[in-house]
Amino acid sequence: MLEVLFIGLSLGSILLLVALGLAITYGAMGVINMAHGEMVMVGAYVTVLSGIWLGTNIFVAIPLAFIVTALLGLLIERVVVRRLYGRLLDTLLATWGIAILIQQAVRLEFGLSFLGIHIQGLGPGLQNVSVPAILQGTFSIAGADINRYRSFIIMVTAILALATWFIIYRTSIGTQVRAIIRNPKMAAACGIDVTRVNALTFAFGSGLAGVAGVMMSGFKTVFPDMGTPMVVDGFLVVVMGGVGSLLGSVLSAGILGEINGLVAAATNDILARAVVFGVVIAIIVLKPKGLFALKGR
Amino acid sequence: MGRTALTLDGLSVDFEGFRAVNQVTMTIDDGELRVLLGANGAGKTTLMDLISGKTKSTSGRVFLHDTDITNWEEHKIARAGVGRKFQIPSIFKELTVRRNLEVASCRNPGVFANLRFGFSAEAERNVDEVLELIGLTEQANQVAAYLSHGQTQWLELGLLITQNPKIILLDEPTAGMTQAETHKTSLIVNNLKGRHTIVVVEHDMAFVREIAERITVLHLGQVIAEGNVEQIETDPKVREAYLGSKGIS
Amino acid sequence: MPSKRVIDWAVYAAFVIIIMTAPLVMEPFWLNRVAKYLVYGMLGIAVALSWGYAGILNLGQGLFFGAGAYMLAMSLKLASTTSLQQGSDRPVPDFMLWNAEPGSPTELCCINKASFLWLPFQSQWFGVAMGLILPVAIATILGMIVFRKRISGVFVSIITLAVVLLVRLVVIDSQPVTNGFNGLTDLGWFKVGGLEFDPFVVETYYLVAVSLSLVLVGARLLIFTRAGLILQAVRDDQNRARYLGFNVPAYQTFFFAVSAAIAGFAGMLYVVVSEFASPTFMDLTFSITMVVWAAVGGRSSILGACIGAIIINVLSATVSETEGFAEAWKAIIGLIFVLVVLYLPRGIAGLAHDFVDRIVTRRSAPSSHPLRVSDPSSQLAE
Repeated sequence: MLEVLFIGLSLGSILLLVALGLAITYGAMGVINMAHGEMVMVGAYVTVLSGIWLGTNIFVAIPLAFIVTALLGLLIERVVVRRLYGRLLDTLLATWGIAILIQQAVRLEFGLSFLGIHIQGLGPGLQNVSVPAILQGTFSIAGADINRYRSFIIMVTAILALATWFIIYRTSIGTQVRAIIRNPKMAAACGIDVTRVNALTFAFGSGLAGVAGVMMSGFKTVFPDMGTPMVVDGFLVVVMGGVGSLLGSVLSAGILGEINGLVAAATNDILARAVVFGVVIAIIVLKPKGLFALKGR
Repeated sequence: MGRTALTLDGLSVDFEGFRAVNQVTMTIDDGELRVLLGANGAGKTTLMDLISGKTKSTSGRVFLHDTDITNWEEHKIARAGVGRKFQIPSIFKELTVRRNLEVASCRNPGVFANLRFGFSAEAERNVDEVLELIGLTEQANQVAAYLSHGQTQWLELGLLITQNPKIILLDEPTAGMTQAETHKTSLIVNNLKGRHTIVVVEHDMAFVREIAERITVLHLGQVIAEGNVEQIETDPKVREAYLGSKGIS
Repeated sequence: MPSKRVIDWAVYAAFVIIIMTAPLVMEPFWLNRVAKYLVYGMLGIAVALSWGYAGILNLGQGLFFGAGAYMLAMSLKLASTTSLQQGSDRPVPDFMLWNAEPGSPTELCCINKASFLWLPFQSQWFGVAMGLILPVAIATILGMIVFRKRISGVFVSIITLAVVLLVRLVVIDSQPVTNGFNGLTDLGWFKVGGLEFDPFVVETYYLVAVSLSLVLVGARLLIFTRAGLILQAVRDDQNRARYLGFNVPAYQTFFFAVSAAIAGFAGMLYVVVSEFASPTFMDLTFSITMVVWAAVGGRSSILGACIGAIIINVLSATVSETEGFAEAWKAIIGLIFVLVVLYLPRGIAGLAHDFVDRIVTRRSAPSSHPLRVSDPSSQLAE
């Protein structure tokens, strides 16, 4: 039973890892970033490439991926997202288009495959990352076999969640972000540089996705399409938790993870995912603002 | 005297302990034009919300002629004969001015009843008349999004006139208008007098003087006075509510 | 100078003529392919109706497409010779035989726990009827729940997204009844009277082309009705419509259901043309791709969305012939989509509209025809 609960916790942490960045961009900026899954994918590819070309391991890949995806996020915000503030559905569609572009960029190896050049680690095929020995295998707690890598993911997620919480609630820039969540016009009237803060927020959210990608690469195969299911999951977590509520996202990730784990143990993975979708649908229908709605009227 | 068009009986609404409207009882006769005056927060718009179904009351009743329409769904109240104009003008932006009015002219609002083409010649004539009345005949084929603020207000008035409800609720119809526009609006509203029962929420005393017959003054959700312009201006309770018990000194 | 209305219908007529005469100039190899693209065109119409006119961005249109497809596919599966392998003259789908528990009766009613659901599909027309009824039923129920509760735009889209994914998973998981990931293959041909619709004969092409034309004209007429006008009013300002006495959820549900019926119809045609039904019909990517087609073609234009879908796919296919350009093409479509969302919300149809507007109001040189009817990209519709 403990193992089942642990798996649930692990699934929840993976959900949260992806959802964290989304929660911030959606909550703070009212942007539905469908390219978020591709950020995760980019983070995974950073791990692959840095492993092949720089010979580094996962631990080094974490800050590297954060920087790369944060910069990519900054670029996307400046070029596209900035023009779509206030148009929520349009952000969903435009970022979906960007997601396609990023996917194809990886598939086509940034166009180099046309010239016959192939970069090892890119392209349409599957990639794999080897996990450092210290994270392999299992250890025992109270008689249950706990997977080391899953624990690592839970740990990293917890650290990131706490770091995010700290930034949002205990720093001045975090206060600015929260002000913008409540009322962007008033925030601007109070002298907050909304444009700059939004850009940084988007970059931060994307960076988090990059780190999620690093974590994913350790136990999932890496391929260009891997992002899409993740952005959907992440998004449902955020919407269920309530727009603008970090706690809501944490809790709904936990709840959905556990439901997934329990149902999967009782039946199978596929049905478990279906049940999770069903639960989210039910909650959105019953409480459209989510479990912990925070955003104004 | 005519029939009673609208009757409010002890109407109240509570928002988590805050009584926005408190035991309001009023009767408005057929064809009457009643102005609701009151400071911001007095409950005027909330009262309109209660009548039109936007907000559900916590106690009291609303009668349209003899029908109890308390807490009905908005579209049913509208069908029963209540038309409402909002403070922030709302019209159908992507449709042309004429099409806006055509929508309002649908007598039968059901989906299947409207799976038919076009509007009767009579309906089109009616639309033409309304365009004349609100002064938008030249803009008939313009997309509504491109109208000026004043024109949008008049279009919304036009929607109401076309809808031809028994009671028209106007919530600050001159908000944001210039003096000239306000005057034109008063002409339109005066034109409607007698044929419709009208309840107007307003601030602009100049406009009120141009149109008012009977005025009801609200304060903190309650009716504190009723009468014509003179009576209201000299009523001590009204003075106290607006100016404080010490008056202007 | 003809009025806009006349130009409109002229373009519709031109489109219908083009697709009807296409077999005369196309290689037979392309007939089947183009028939598929015409089906996509129908999906474009469904999206335009729901999104452009009703204001409901359905990110799970694939649900209705898939529902229609599976209903007909079930009937066609039972009609196939592969369902008679067990020797009796009462059909049992081959995958059920392969996956059956040892010792179970080889009868459709009882070979596994849910196989009885297939029984009525022995009649092909039952499958056809269900192919329309099921999507409409799902849409109506979904609509009544979601629209009555006045759930706002974004959340409606998210719900449709989640629902299609949910159903996709359930279909995949229900291996004994749906053959899971593999979908339904080895189908019989659709039969009407003595006519069999082999996917590669010209009759099948005409089946699709005529269906598309009917749906196109039907949808256009529907928009022309007063209900269509009221629908657009509801899209523009729900509250205003409500206070004019219109039952807003009723309108939204009705048109949502019509859009679902069109998608279901498209699903059935797709099965006839491609001879399979699969859970991939309910992939999120496919559902969103339909939205991309409609956006580029013109979301508020029935014909625009239709043509957008057809052209994008024709170009895709042409491009894929050349080297490995298929992937590059996907990237280009992605880019075009972003640009359309940013700068061209009314799509190509919007451009065409403005072009014709300018000509009609300018009443310029009478000798020049305002529209080159043979150029499929300069179409126009409202």
